[in-house]
Amino acid sequence: MAVVNGARVAAEIEIAALGKVFGQGEAAFHALKNINLKIATGEFFTLLGPSGCGKTTLLRVIAGFEQPSTGALAINGRQVAGQGPNKRPVNTVFQSYALFPHMTVAQNIGFGLKMLGKPRSEIDATVAEMLRLVRMEALAERRPSEISGGQQQRVALARALAPRPRVLLLDEPLSALDLKLRKEMQGELKRLQTETGITFVFVTHDQEEALTMSDRIAVMSAGRILQLGSPDEIYNAPVDRFVADFIGETNFLTLPVAGVSGDQAHLDLPGGTSAPARLPAGLAAAPGSSVTAVIRPEQAEIAPAEGADLTAEVESATFFGTDTHLHLRLSDGQPFILRRQNRPGQPPIAPGTRLGLVLAPGALQVLRD
Amino acid sequence: MSERGAFSVTRIPGFGLIAITTFVLLYLPIVILVIFSFNEGLSQSVWEGFSLRWYEAAFANRQVRDVSIRSLWLAGVAAGLATVLATLAVLGTTRVGRFRGQTMIYALINQPLMVPEIVTGIALLIFVASIKVQTGYTGMGYLVAAHTAFCIPFAYLPIRARLETLDPALEMAAADLYASPVQAFRHITLPLMVPGILAGFMLGFVISLDTVVITEFVKSAGQDTLPTYMLGQLRRTITPEMNAIATLFLLLSLVIVTAFFLITRTRGR
Ligand SMILES: Nc1ncnc2c1ncn2[C@@H]1O[C@H](COP(=O)(O)OP(=O)(O)OP(=O)(O)O)[C@@H](O)[C@H]1O
Ligand SMILES: [Mg+2]
Repeated sequence: MAVVNGARVAAEIEIAALGKVFGQGEAAFHALKNINLKIATGEFFTLLGPSGCGKTTLLRVIAGFEQPSTGALAINGRQVAGQGPNKRPVNTVFQSYALFPHMTVAQNIGFGLKMLGKPRSEIDATVAEMLRLVRMEALAERRPSEISGGQQQRVALARALAPRPRVLLLDEPLSALDLKLRKEMQGELKRLQTETGITFVFVTHDQEEALTMSDRIAVMSAGRILQLGSPDEIYNAPVDRFVADFIGETNFLTLPVAGVSGDQAHLDLPGGTSAPARLPAGLAAAPGSSVTAVIRPEQAEIAPAEGADLTAEVESATFFGTDTHLHLRLSDGQPFILRRQNRPGQPPIAPGTRLGLVLAPGALQVLRD
Repeated sequence: MSERGAFSVTRIPGFGLIAITTFVLLYLPIVILVIFSFNEGLSQSVWEGFSLRWYEAAFANRQVRDVSIRSLWLAGVAAGLATVLATLAVLGTTRVGRFRGQTMIYALINQPLMVPEIVTGIALLIFVASIKVQTGYTGMGYLVAAHTAFCIPFAYLPIRARLETLDPALEMAAADLYASPVQAFRHITLPLMVPGILAGFMLGFVISLDTVVITEFVKSAGQDTLPTYMLGQLRRTITPEMNAIATLFLLLSLVIVTAFFLITRTRGR
């Protein structure tokens, strides 16, 4: 069983205390450290993290190209330790696509079924269905070298989907595409996932892609999973400095703890008022100590100075089209970025202006640090 | 000197002259050989009119036919065996990751490229002679073995070049799509290696066809190949029949080498 965004569902992939070490002795490199993960059937699950954090390695372990050094991995309830990639009900869309250059598009798509020993008629029917699914019917007889990058991408997808795997692994499948095509393929991927109901494990280092497409996201850094949650949780309630910093833009404030009740802390704000903030699970913040809290730039609003949570002075403003970023200095000297929606006829705010700020309820999140 | 652009060797004074001299030295003797293969008379220096009589003589010559067939047969068998062995050697040395002594293995496989042919020839002569004494066997086996060993590096190099350009992700993709290691090799690796294997075979074939020294030292009586036969004939009087044979031999080599380039260029993509 996996718990996904509060609901209990069947676990497709269960990873427990998994580690991966490359090399030995002095040269040993821990690419994955104590990974614990349950991915639910039919979930769109994303591994997000900077280059070198171990995303591909984790995918390769799931696919069977690498064996874990420690820990356990089960797919569909069955331990797969020691099984080669050809024995696992898992298919991969490679970052380089890895289409077979000497086969046509149709032969590429049918390869998995052929290896499974399916009869000719079934292969032909599935290939036709897959071609339709990725809208490549017209190019079935072309070679991979005779189609565009976006089309190769679709063929790679179709080839991996054709054997109806339980899990589809996608390693940055969109990173080679230009922006417009990438947006289009994001929608396409989401549609395919919904239509087929196959569990997707998707790797990206593009946070926007992760936020828009995923049911859940695991943010990784240096071989560890730092936070696991829905896009909303990852964005609005980051529990880790790295996660908060990696995703979107955010304000870090160092604030003293006034008091704690349950999973809520009350933090003293520079202006003398106090505000509630969420505490990460398991963190005990002692009253009187200082913690780091984060708040997104769009979660504060300009208000009259009297009765405001915070007061600040405008240092500079950057125009972004839909909004303007105001670079503020709080009364205790900490920097604060405020995102202000642009509206016609709205008077510009000049540097030097003093403002009051009201924080959205529940906007403050304490980090584990 | 031009003010813009990189250094160009073509602007060195005398470059054209050197180039022309080189080409003349390369091709003129061969052109003359070919021309006099069509000479009506016996002379190698006085043109006496066009004729195909020396070609007719060459084709009518039983010995020429025999040694030509032996040469082609030997080259085919030796290049075939060498290609199989070289393919296995390539798979054993490039698809297994780095290992200790890898460079050493490369050097050992490529022995015939480094050891002077005459040294190999003499070594083989002594070696083969002692086996002949021990076993009494005097068949073509010695020539086949010697040519095969000699051809291996020439087959090995193009096959290895081809395999090294193969994306390892292709084999991973095959395994991911439920192919067993044998199936992945059979359906992905091997078909993609075919251009390299063909090129290796052809190169080996030409090399075997060409080699004189090794054959000369290893052959038993009545095992002349075309080159050793020609060498033997030259010790007697030279008639334009030899020119005709040489021209045909040249043509065969050209055809194979051209095919080699076409294969490596068009199928190699
Ligand atoms: N076979 C290997 N031997 C040694 N180290 C390896 C091996 N494979 C990966 N690593 C190391 O493990 C770390 C994680 O690599 P991985 O490919 O999983 O990163 P990634 O998160 O996919 O990065 P990217 O976004 O750049 O693709 C890297 O530091 C890498 O150098
Ligand atoms: Mg990667």
